[in-house]
Amino acid sequence: MKVLKRYGALYVMMVPVIAYFLVFAYYPLVKGLQTSFQDYRLMGDRPYVGFANYSAVMHDSMFWDAMVNTLVIGGGILLFTFAAPLIIALSLNEVLRTWYKKLAQMVLYVPHLLSWVVVGGIWIFMLSPDSGLVNMILVHVFHRAPFNFLADSTWARWIMIWLATWKEMGYTCILFLAGIVSINPSLYEAARIDGATRWQQLIRVTLPQLGNTMKVVFLLNTLGILRIFDEVFVLRNPTIATKVDVLMMYTFQKGILDIKLGPASAASFFVLLLTLALTLVVRRVTRFDEV
Amino acid sequence: MKKLLLTMSTVAVAGTMILTGCGSESNGNDAANAPANSQTDNAPANAGGGNAADAANAPTNAPAAEMKLRILDANVGGKTPEENTKFEAEIKRLTGIDAKMEKPASDYDQKVLTALGSGEKYDLIELSDLGQLATFVDQGVVTDLTDFVTKSKVLSDPTVVPTSEWDQLKDKDGKIVAVFSKFQGGTMPIVRKDWLDKLGLQEPKTLDDYYNVLKAFKEKDPDGDGKNDTYGLSTSDLYDIQGFMSAAGLKYRYVMKDGKRTIPYASEAAIPMYQWFAKLVKEGIMDPNFVTNDTGKMRNLFLTDRVGMVTYWDAWVGMFNNMKQQEDPSTKFQAEALDGIPGADGTVMLRRGDPDFWIVPVNAEHPDAAKKFLEFWHTEPGITLGSLGIEGEDYTKSGDAYTLTDTGKDHSSDHGVPFWYNENVKPPFGKLPGVQAAQDIVKQHATLELSLPGWDDAEKIVKNYALKAMSGQMDAAEAVKKMHDELLGKKLIDE
Repeated sequence: MKVLKRYGALYVMMVPVIAYFLVFAYYPLVKGLQTSFQDYRLMGDRPYVGFANYSAVMHDSMFWDAMVNTLVIGGGILLFTFAAPLIIALSLNEVLRTWYKKLAQMVLYVPHLLSWVVVGGIWIFMLSPDSGLVNMILVHVFHRAPFNFLADSTWARWIMIWLATWKEMGYTCILFLAGIVSINPSLYEAARIDGATRWQQLIRVTLPQLGNTMKVVFLLNTLGILRIFDEVFVLRNPTIATKVDVLMMYTFQKGILDIKLGPASAASFFVLLLTLALTLVVRRVTRFDEV
Repeated sequence: MKKLLLTMSTVAVAGTMILTGCGSESNGNDAANAPANSQTDNAPANAGGGNAADAANAPTNAPAAEMKLRILDANVGGKTPEENTKFEAEIKRLTGIDAKMEKPASDYDQKVLTALGSGEKYDLIELSDLGQLATFVDQGVVTDLTDFVTKSKVLSDPTVVPTSEWDQLKDKDGKIVAVFSKFQGGTMPIVRKDWLDKLGLQEPKTLDDYYNVLKAFKEKDPDGDGKNDTYGLSTSDLYDIQGFMSAAGLKYRYVMKDGKRTIPYASEAAIPMYQWFAKLVKEGIMDPNFVTNDTGKMRNLFLTDRVGMVTYWDAWVGMFNNMKQQEDPSTKFQAEALDGIPGADGTVMLRRGDPDFWIVPVNAEHPDAAKKFLEFWHTEPGITLGSLGIEGEDYTKSGDAYTLTDTGKDHSSDHGVPFWYNENVKPPFGKLPGVQAAQDIVKQHATLELSLPGWDDAEKIVKNYALKAMSGQMDAAEAVKKMHDELLGKKLIDE
């Protein structure tokens, strides 16, 4: 009570923030939960149907196909968007020319600024078998027949993973570089006095000191793996749909295209619960609380 | 004191934010929005007309009181937001209705769904998908318009809308639940007639003829630039390949056979057709991007001399020709519609597109204004507005003579109604080159497709395997077998 009296003004300052989240985050969430238990019609009565929508989703083979796609593509993205920027950040840290380092950072970061609509358009063009740069190289340099990358289901998932990695690499790389910069220079100095080579400094000093940043980045990336949508929406086509349609695409299909809002809401809550479970597991495994 | 001031100011800011966030826009025009008497039950829209044709061409009466109307539409209106405002003013001038048109730049279907789901109130919503209409009927969204249509002197006139056409807009109980916004045509192969002439080729009739023509388009440098940079055929995935599949007697989507759901594209009869396409792909005759093309890319290939044949709408025959002539009056470019390929019994199967239509949602605040607008839309002033556009902006009129402005020429006489049903209203400039022949083909051969519940799921399977077979990724027989088995396994077909 004393604390409340003393810092009352500060608590009052929190009111608009809490109100904002209640109105614009939790209220829609509760409405979504309510919809998931209803036979939802756009107009008229909306009777409650218990767990029927959840049952329908659980018995829908397309939901499970989407689940597999999500785990494969999301898992791949999680792995590569963690490893690739880490390797690049460590490599850039070894670069002595500052101008080169800054230029490389900028070039890597630019794709992050583009929306998936733009990135999708660029890569659909780049991978086109008609006049795309990748196929031009295949034909003129390697004398291979043009290949329709975006129409071949064996390549589809890899392309999704690779493009997500390419787009987000620069952003995560900057987080790692910031982590590296904050490492105490005296540790490197001590290592050098002990005769450590640059490689040994990297392994013995940089990587262990970067541990906490790595945990944060991994956890943040984990939060997003079940929510992949924009990339798939822009790049999918009927021949690769079975390999790339993810959970959010399933929800979009059910809710917006088929106008079955009850099952769509139920599927959304599956995604929410799975994300929560996944996050808790990652927190436990990475011992995130020790950050 | 400082603390008190801080607390008070914080509470004030917080309170303002909450009130702002929670407040709703009140509609202070309820009195102004009170519906006037329905024309349907009282006087006809064109009371001045003595006969049906006159009634169908005359403007609607000015209302006794100002009527308001909120419209959500995808196609109707101005081409830019500024012109849309002028369009609203023109509606007001012609009908007295104070119309507000909302025309989302993209994701129209999502906008419709979001609007309806969130309880937004529109008086008219434009749609173009009969499957979606059936869903909206099930979801309790649409108003029964049977009485309105049957009692309306304009809409019940068979010269305005042929009586049989209304069957498209009936629900399963036979009630009319929507009103057409324009005449919708169909699709067919569209060929570069100037390329045919240049290469000394006849219009193709059979599958072999088509192959020879397409091969010549690929190999004989029809654009005369000395480069091997042309394709015979481009499509946008399975969009509108109906004209070719007609050769095997295959209709897209569901076909009911002895009361059982079948999908002809998943039958063995489709195998030779997929093999035919695969041959085109293998020989480089087909645009290799056909799987990932959207229709815009397909059109661009045709307009930029990269491909000799596309499969598209009848109206676009004229649009293609007009666009090229606007660009270069001396162009030799000539697009022409082709008949589909007859099947073994001589029947040609083409696709007629789902109509564009208006619904009046059950929560419409001004249903009478909506009905008045629907009648107006099918009269001469309404059709002129929907086609030529806005007087003074898109065209000028002197006596009975119309002259298109430069803006009007750019807009190709399409402000939502390039073609209409009303036979009493003649197009002042005739039709664009090639359109009439294309429409004749549609009228002769095109039929609507049957979309049953579950088609969205079935279509994913059909497209997946059909495109794999067509692009040569999978053997056609294997693709058809897998397609059929998967459809049967998921209970999306009965046999």
